[in-house]
Amino acid sequence: MAALRSSAARLLGAASRPALRAATAPTSAPAAVRGMAQVADAQQHSQTASGDQANLKTFQIYRWNPDTPTEKPKMQSYTLDLNKTGPMVLDALIRIKNELDPTLTFRRSCREGICGSCAMNINGTNTLACLCRIPAEDSAEMKIYPLPHTYVVKDLVPDLTQFYKQYKSIKPYLQRDTPAEDGKEYRQSKADRKKLDGLYECILCACCSTSCPSYWWNSEEYLGPAILLQSYRWLVDSRDEKTAQRKDALNNSMSLYRCHTILNCTRTCPKGLNPGLAIAQIKKEMAF
Amino acid sequence: MIAQRVGTTALRRVAGKPNVFFTANVARLGLAQPLSMTQTRPVATQKLTPADGSALLAKQRLNRPVSPHLDVYDKQQTWFGGSIWMRITGSAFSGSLYVFATAYLAAPLLGWHLESASLAASFGALPFAVKGGLKFLAAWPFTFHAFNGVRHLLFDMAYGFKRQTIVKSGWYIWGASIVGGLYLAFFL
Amino acid sequence: MASIARSSLLRQVASARPAFQQSVIANGARATAFHTTAKRDLLPPLPQRVEGTVNDAAPVPETSPSHGSYHWTFDRLVAGSLIPLTVAPFAAGSLNPTLDALLCATILIHSHTGFQNVIIDYIPQYRTPRARKIFMWGLNAATAVVGLALYEFETTDVGITETIKRIWTA
Repeated sequence: MAALRSSAARLLGAASRPALRAATAPTSAPAAVRGMAQVADAQQHSQTASGDQANLKTFQIYRWNPDTPTEKPKMQSYTLDLNKTGPMVLDALIRIKNELDPTLTFRRSCREGICGSCAMNINGTNTLACLCRIPAEDSAEMKIYPLPHTYVVKDLVPDLTQFYKQYKSIKPYLQRDTPAEDGKEYRQSKADRKKLDGLYECILCACCSTSCPSYWWNSEEYLGPAILLQSYRWLVDSRDEKTAQRKDALNNSMSLYRCHTILNCTRTCPKGLNPGLAIAQIKKEMAF
Repeated sequence: MIAQRVGTTALRRVAGKPNVFFTANVARLGLAQPLSMTQTRPVATQKLTPADGSALLAKQRLNRPVSPHLDVYDKQQTWFGGSIWMRITGSAFSGSLYVFATAYLAAPLLGWHLESASLAASFGALPFAVKGGLKFLAAWPFTFHAFNGVRHLLFDMAYGFKRQTIVKSGWYIWGASIVGGLYLAFFL
Repeated sequence: MASIARSSLLRQVASARPAFQQSVIANGARATAFHTTAKRDLLPPLPQRVEGTVNDAAPVPETSPSHGSYHWTFDRLVAGSLIPLTVAPFAAGSLNPTLDALLCATILIHSHTGFQNVIIDYIPQYRTPRARKIFMWGLNAATAVVGLALYEFETTDVGITETIKRIWTA
């Protein structure tokens, strides 16, 4: 079955190749044969034809291919018509991948800011591509880079191994020795639960950590804002009983104290959280 | 199912408007194949032991470039956020203190005159504009470091972390330090 | 099956659009050469090496409050005490010799810990342990020399605030 499919495709591909070459010249005749999903496009097309100017936007995207490792990373431009593209940067990326260049590589999953896959540096700040609107009013080019100072796996895909290893090192789970009083669940007052607000929402997209110059220079030893925010999430949890050990693990010159309140982290967080404040709270709690 | 797939592919082929936009890349890659259209992937795979796999990964890691950082990150945050200027002004002050103090200690041996009286006399001999300029050059880092130092101490007490407050207070520090520096340099 | 059908449908939507020809006019693969790092020849990032497997946690350093929380708290106390010491000469016009000496000493400590932070940030221990050691001891030596010089200056000259005042009004 697979063989049949592939050979059929190859046959068709070979047959259509000359036609493709010809298509480099601007062709005018729209499709004679129309798939059922094309109706919407046709409507769009006629709308465009009847007045609306094409709203072009150029995206400059960082490219690097591991298959040709000797080639230097470069910026590649793609131009899209925003009238036919969704409002977010991720929509544009997906459209580029679908239609212009299938070799463009990036991570994406939920497209609604809950998975953290599409974190990247867009126009100078780290954010989630799915939550970042394409500014339609200005015609400036958009520049898209992978998360800053990360090892690049391919194009916009950074390697976050160290980030996850650091996350694991803070033991991101409830640690306690005493069993629950009712033998069922660990209870918490409303006030204590409230302390976790603004912390538990973190999706570990690494936007904040990779915006932090301290983390750029010392990611081997400094934990970085995201991991420290997670650390604080377990430090303030009233149910956790290893608070002292957790603090001890941070009490050295590198893990926590490379934070110099530059606060790029708070300014960049796509979820509106405040890693800078969480770190300040840890420092304050550990001050004496 | 096969029929359907072949059908759709055929439709697309006949429709004959594949990637006009991809052609430039096609030319660059030297491929005439419509990559965005074909579903086939003639990839040969081979079995690897986990150890071989991780060795291969380790080798690939060595090739990876580091993504751009200082060059591309929002200049306003990294260069005018205040924190780096805190370090620059502080280092400039402490550095000149260290240099001056060492020179002062060595002055008798080298025959220099770095006593306060001779320093004041030689500074007083300079024209007004130069004096003012030099004073501002010393006064602005002082006011910046002092004001931003207070801001950082407030940060350390967990005040002023709202996003708007961070941005605004950063600009206030710049304004206040320049005004303060000018005042110290020319009106004192 | 369902997913395959769906994806092919989606792709059809995406690929078979009549309006493309005009939607993208100039998609020349304008690939420009790109400088990954400017001219940061000093300590460029190393090729990526990962210790252990991806499932091992990063190592947790030894607890040492004297480099951690005590150090940080001490830093803040010194910085905080500099505020009244700097404001005082502006308010009073000058400082008495004791306070002047205290200001000198505090500035010296503040400078020393500040430089320490700079060294820790930019000369990583794990990568250049010897350079780190040299710089740290160099800083200690420099601070000792400067301390001696400031002692000389304070005892034989008119004091730091008075000197600055005289130069400023010269």
